[in-house]
Amino acid sequence: MKKVLITALSVFALTAQADFLGSSHNWNDGSSDPFKAAITAAEAGYAANFKANMAWRDTEKMIKEAKKLNAAGKTAAAVALANKAHVQTVNATAQTALAKNAGPLF
Amino acid sequence: MKKLITAVVSLGLIVGAASATDVDADRKAFVGHFKSIKPNVDFADYTNGVYAFDEGSREQFEEILDGIPPYEEALEKGGAEFEKFGLAKCDALKDPAAARLAHPYYDEKAGTVVTLEGTIQKCYNEQTGKKMGTMKGKIARISSWISDQAAGEKINVKVESEGAKAAYEEGKAFFYAKRGQFNMSCADCHVYNAGKKARADILSPALGHTTHVPMYRAKWAGLGTLHRRYGGCLKNMRAKPIKAQKEVYRNMEFYHQAMSNGLEITDARYRK
Repeated sequence: MKKVLITALSVFALTAQADFLGSSHNWNDGSSDPFKAAITAAEAGYAANFKANMAWRDTEKMIKEAKKLNAAGKTAAAVALANKAHVQTVNATAQTALAKNAGPLF
Repeated sequence: MKKLITAVVSLGLIVGAASATDVDADRKAFVGHFKSIKPNVDFADYTNGVYAFDEGSREQFEEILDGIPPYEEALEKGGAEFEKFGLAKCDALKDPAAARLAHPYYDEKAGTVVTLEGTIQKCYNEQTGKKMGTMKGKIARISSWISDQAAGEKINVKVESEGAKAAYEEGKAFFYAKRGQFNMSCADCHVYNAGKKARADILSPALGHTTHVPMYRAKWAGLGTLHRRYGGCLKNMRAKPIKAQKEVYRNMEFYHQAMSNGLEITDARYRK
């Protein structure tokens, strides 16, 4: 009896909580959102590269395009492009580390 | 024993810092590199850039100069603008030829490199209350006209103080640093591969680059400043261009011009 009561109360509590959330609630919003994670990483990397005067030419455009794709509901393409932009920022960061000690080879 | 180690380490640091920047040695190595890749090209001919390397291109260049160069009208306009805007009232520009020779220099008070275009912008702002662009148009015309007044004089950038040396080193690092999606440095094209072809174009030598700036480029169909060219090169390497007259470009110009010390400033500013 006790077990039945606890189960019923739990189901009720979860149902009630769900009712408070609107129908438009995005259950994927948060750290599990693959686009959000990809675009955040790309934007952070680009900001650091830009500050170091080592940003690549097309990264910013790729970030903007990825956002547009995501807004249009093309999530898979948006994530792929955001990841591509992120890879660019990782490579630019590697260049930044080497740039400090750059000098002639002769 | 501890004192001895401290003294030796300190001495090492002092000697290291003092010998870290040797502009003359850098320049000799730079010029030596060009001598090694192009033994038949005279040092003085580097004012002609790529035309010192390729006979066919040189003939075209000379034909263009024999007629009325396409930048002639712009230069006349630049001279008129110099007068019109009262730029001679500024101490730094009252003797245009001297102004060209004095720039770029390290301003000890401001702790930064000052370029000729930077001085023109500042003076224009003082005289007219307006701002001036950084890459083409008025600034390129006026700067070209000023440079023409010093044609035949030799570039002699001085890098003396610790601050100047630090700026020079930063500019040097920028010049040799690989950047952009193509992972290439300025030096990759204009030092190590100068004279070789990149598609249909012959890569110009960095030695002498600053003797004919601002330059007229057929591609631009107009005059442009050195920093405009820096931006174009970065874009070609798929790196994000930096705004003209920003500190990194000014420092690179400081290094870039110092490497051409001893070469004559020329008024033959036509380039493909």
